Amino acid sequence: MALTNTSKVKEDVWISTCCGQCYCMCGIKVRRQDGVVTEVEGNPDAPTGRGKICVKGLASPQLLYDPYRVNYPLKRTNPQKGIGVDPKFVRISWEEAMDTIVKKMKACQEKDPRGVYFQATTTQASEIRYGVTGFMKAFGTPNYWVSGGGLHCGNGAHFMNGIMHVAWSIIPDFAHCNLPLNFGCSKGHGAGHVAVQNATQAADSRARGSRTITFDPMQSAQASKAYEWVPIRVGTDGAMALGLVNVLLNDLGVWDDEYLKYKTNGPYLIRPSDGRYMRDKETNKPMVWDLVDNCPKVHNDPSVTRVQYEEEAHDVALFGEYDVDGVKCRPGFELLKEHVKKYTPEYVSEITFVPASTIRRIGKEIADNVEIGATVIIETDEGPKKIPKRPIAAHFFRGSQGHVNSGWTCLSIDMINHMVGAADTWGGALGLGAAVGAGYKPTGKPYQIPYPDEDGLLMCKAWVYDHIPYPLRKPKPPTRLDLHDMFPTSIYNAFTIMNPKWFEMLEQFKIPYRPDIMINFGSNSVMTMGNAEIVTENFLKKFNFIFSFQLYITEFEEAVADIILPDTCFLERYTPAVSFPSTFSHPTGEDDWGWTIRQPVIEPMYERRDFNVVMMEICKRLGILHKYYKALNDVTVIRYGGAMSDEYKLCEDGSQEHTWEEVVDRMLKDRFGPEHGLEHVRKKGVFTWPKRKEDVYWKWFNPSRVPVYFEYFIDSGEQITELCKQMDPEKKYINLDWSVFKPLADWYPCPTHTEKNPEFDMHAFYWRAVTQTNSMTQQNPYLDEMSQEDTIVFGIQMHSKTAAEKGIKEGDLVWVENPEGKKIKGWVTLSEGIEPSHLAFAAILGHWGEYMPVAKGKGAFFNDLVMMDEPHTDPLTLNQDICCRVKIYKD
Amino acid sequence: MARYGMVIDLNRCYGCYACAMACKVANRTPPGVFWARVLRGEMGTFPNSVRQALPVLCNQCEEPDCMKVCPTGATYKTDDGIVRVDKDKCIGCAYCVMGCPYGARYKVDDWNSYFPEGLPLSPYEEHTKEFWEQKSGLGVSTKCDFCIDRRAEGKEPACVQACSAKARVFGDLDDPDSEISYLIKTKRGFVLRPEVGTEPKVYYLPPR
Ligand code: SF4
Ligand code: SF4
Ligand code: SF4
Repeated sequence: MALTNTSKVKEDVWISTCCGQCYCMCGIKVRRQDGVVTEVEGNPDAPTGRGKICVKGLASPQLLYDPYRVNYPLKRTNPQKGIGVDPKFVRISWEEAMDTIVKKMKACQEKDPRGVYFQATTTQASEIRYGVTGFMKAFGTPNYWVSGGGLHCGNGAHFMNGIMHVAWSIIPDFAHCNLPLNFGCSKGHGAGHVAVQNATQAADSRARGSRTITFDPMQSAQASKAYEWVPIRVGTDGAMALGLVNVLLNDLGVWDDEYLKYKTNGPYLIRPSDGRYMRDKETNKPMVWDLVDNCPKVHNDPSVTRVQYEEEAHDVALFGEYDVDGVKCRPGFELLKEHVKKYTPEYVSEITFVPASTIRRIGKEIADNVEIGATVIIETDEGPKKIPKRPIAAHFFRGSQGHVNSGWTCLSIDMINHMVGAADTWGGALGLGAAVGAGYKPTGKPYQIPYPDEDGLLMCKAWVYDHIPYPLRKPKPPTRLDLHDMFPTSIYNAFTIMNPKWFEMLEQFKIPYRPDIMINFGSNSVMTMGNAEIVTENFLKKFNFIFSFQLYITEFEEAVADIILPDTCFLERYTPAVSFPSTFSHPTGEDDWGWTIRQPVIEPMYERRDFNVVMMEICKRLGILHKYYKALNDVTVIRYGGAMSDEYKLCEDGSQEHTWEEVVDRMLKDRFGPEHGLEHVRKKGVFTWPKRKEDVYWKWFNPSRVPVYFEYFIDSGEQITELCKQMDPEKKYINLDWSVFKPLADWYPCPTHTEKNPEFDMHAFYWRAVTQTNSMTQQNPYLDEMSQEDTIVFGIQMHSKTAAEKGIKEGDLVWVENPEGKKIKGWVTLSEGIEPSHLAFAAILGHWGEYMPVAKGKGAFFNDLVMMDEPHTDPLTLNQDICCRVKIYKD
Repeated sequence: MARYGMVIDLNRCYGCYACAMACKVANRTPPGVFWARVLRGEMGTFPNSVRQALPVLCNQCEEPDCMKVCPTGATYKTDDGIVRVDKDKCIGCAYCVMGCPYGARYKVDDWNSYFPEGLPLSPYEEHTKEFWEQKSGLGVSTKCDFCIDRRAEGKEPACVQACSAKARVFGDLDDPDSEISYLIKTKRGFVLRPEVGTEPKVYYLPPR
């Protein structure tokens, strides 16, 4: 104990729990001295974090005790809503708050429960995947969105990584990768999933001498730590990647034959008439051409399949024309190879601003480093096994996927890995948070081993969303308020709900109900999605009643909330399952699995109440508590790997109530055995079990293949086109270009790349600063002060030469305006570390709310430039375009 | 007796500020005080420019200028080479704050809350205020002491413990077998501004 006057200290304990400052879910130890939380450190026992945490987690005592937190229920007394309107909040009792809420909810329940819209923050991902999903199922509404999350961070990335890696993201196997190719991605450099441990792994990798090449419009953390920074035009990473694939396949003739033949659908025969698989008449399965028997075989015929590396199989064709039932077919890989020919270094250079010679050279570096044919031996449960060693990995995340070309960009970058066999094997690109794990041996849970579907392609057991990444959903007449059911790939979208004619659109698409109640859990959607005026006027103001579980009165509550409920923060609550699903928050590589718990470090102060507990109470008052419990049981089976035993199921017949603490206990006992309940796990804060090496490098242990020819997109494209034609024949409301649903990757431009007006001569984008990312950080004064240590966090970063040409100086107050006339204000920070035609903004800053005084007025509010309309939507994934063309001028 | 020092590997460091924050939290430093700090610099011109993070802290110099200029003897060196301030002897003249060539010293006259005025201090800030006043003191010079209290509990300095890049290594410079002696020898360890002659004991390893 460090206080000199130790006699005053009655208590000094460290409690193990889980950080909740962001979705990374690092294990932490929290010091409580005489009833006050004073310090936070990493928990070395927790595989997530392994004793390290980030700047945000360290700063969390200031979140817990922020005097500007909401401590009592509040009610809006000004019926008028909107930005800049004084809500005239007054304090009310919990009883009054609950009575009002339950009355409104009951009325909605009777009329049409689908009128309830759940909006939540990605920061508390664990609560969303469990409690929020459970409530929605129990209440009977399909309507939700994670405002900002998804459309800003991963609609494209999660979707494509799900298809290709059964994973949330991809990341180099830092322990063995020699050439990480980083497409503007902060993974390993302080942000993104598993931020802390990825940083440890990336640092170890640098120390080992790996040579990272980073493509990024600015000299970000990942670019400044790289061996080489390649400045690239924003939103063109997909073109760059296709250029590299072309150099590999067509200039250098480099690809991994074995991988493509036995681990992808590259050899599947494609019929020329419609681009579909040539299927076996009897089994309807896709076929490959057996070069030994010189005949077609179904894809999983034992003679042409190799599950493990050392198994033998007949050679199959990747090239040539073969006659099957009188139809001349060719392997999909050959079509891909021909398709990418148009991405010559010269063409790609025009798009990306990267010199053609650099593209050729990097292609050559990949070829020189990938060691096709090399193998290593790993120790598995079945003894030593040989697997391929491929020490190169291309990876990406929000930066490269936040564009109109989102889906195909993600896929194009990952194609580099799949062309050379560097996927989910030693040294290559590994799925981060891959749903691959055999579980704790004595119980066999949580179990998530992927498997092939009838067509041989990779399917996962557990996934974050209701729909798994593959196979794609069949477009259906919509039931959701964002018409979600129509779209085969997306999680949610913005272009429907932000449409000024949203209600007319609902009419057109025969949605029989309208938005009624919004429940907000921790999100500030006025700022997280796009232009604040549009979000507020077109969307949020359409709700009759909004109540919000919140830590602060944010701009969202100020503008539209009717009731605010004072939520607990992560240091004041239990969370049964922090990883969402069980493997998702884990670092890659060889360490244990762990199930971290979140337990309160102090009792909730004032009248704060845990969101989970309040939702349970609401369910009880609505008479759906038993349904809620059943829904939680179901969610556990899907997301947390395996059926629940009757003993630990939450009571489904209404005869019993559970405390939230008991919910945690039952979950643990069910997953890990009766002796490993809450009392056991509490002490260390985590339950761990060994990870098998074959779960890390799973590629050559699993019978599934991944697509390099996306045959099934053709069907999806036709289905969605047809459905739109039926429901909106005049294309009054939906006019997206569904032709992007096709089997082979392409790059297509964002409005940023096609802007004709020469006045708008700059490209603007935002990036993730380590102090201000994935969380509500800006009101935390420790983080605010730390952010000011780096001048590019609160400033608009601009190249010195460009600024000089425009007569702009360091510190000038400027306007940045997009072609739609939306404009934002900020101060300029000059830099050499940015491509000269770009402006970079850190995070989404520029709060204006009255009730977050630390955050107020700092930095620029980039999202105000983000349009959420069709031209800024990726038809393939409905991802949001978050780059824009702008002009900049002095105030 | 040990002679404590630190190595900061600029190749490993990715400029995440965790060290500075961990220091702040462990030592309850008030606004504007960074016993551990991360500086940023940009060198060269596009596209060959370099952005570099440089974590700094008191160098616990062998020949500390801060000690030389101290008129009262409040600044002293412990047997294991840590430069400390005896807050009861310090008269707050701040000669040392000016005298330190590394800007590693901070004098706080009035304790300030991190929040704008208006609301009562939070329980956490009541704690940090009391902690600061008792341990470091107001109106006197303060500085990093390589987390003397944490080390008494058998822990590493907070900045070292917090570094997820494992960029910071704490140890005994006199022990030829210590990790830091090895790193300095084999990885071209250097000190900042050697020309001022204070003989720093915080070493850096080059960015690449
Ligand atoms: S990365 Fe996220 S979960 Fe981990 S310490 Fe930082 S804020 Fe907490
Ligand atoms: S904690 Fe480590 S990586 Fe982060 S800034 Fe400090 S020294 Fe660098
Ligand atoms: S760095 Fe400054 S304060 Fe620290 S010992 Fe050297 S001269 Fe004194």
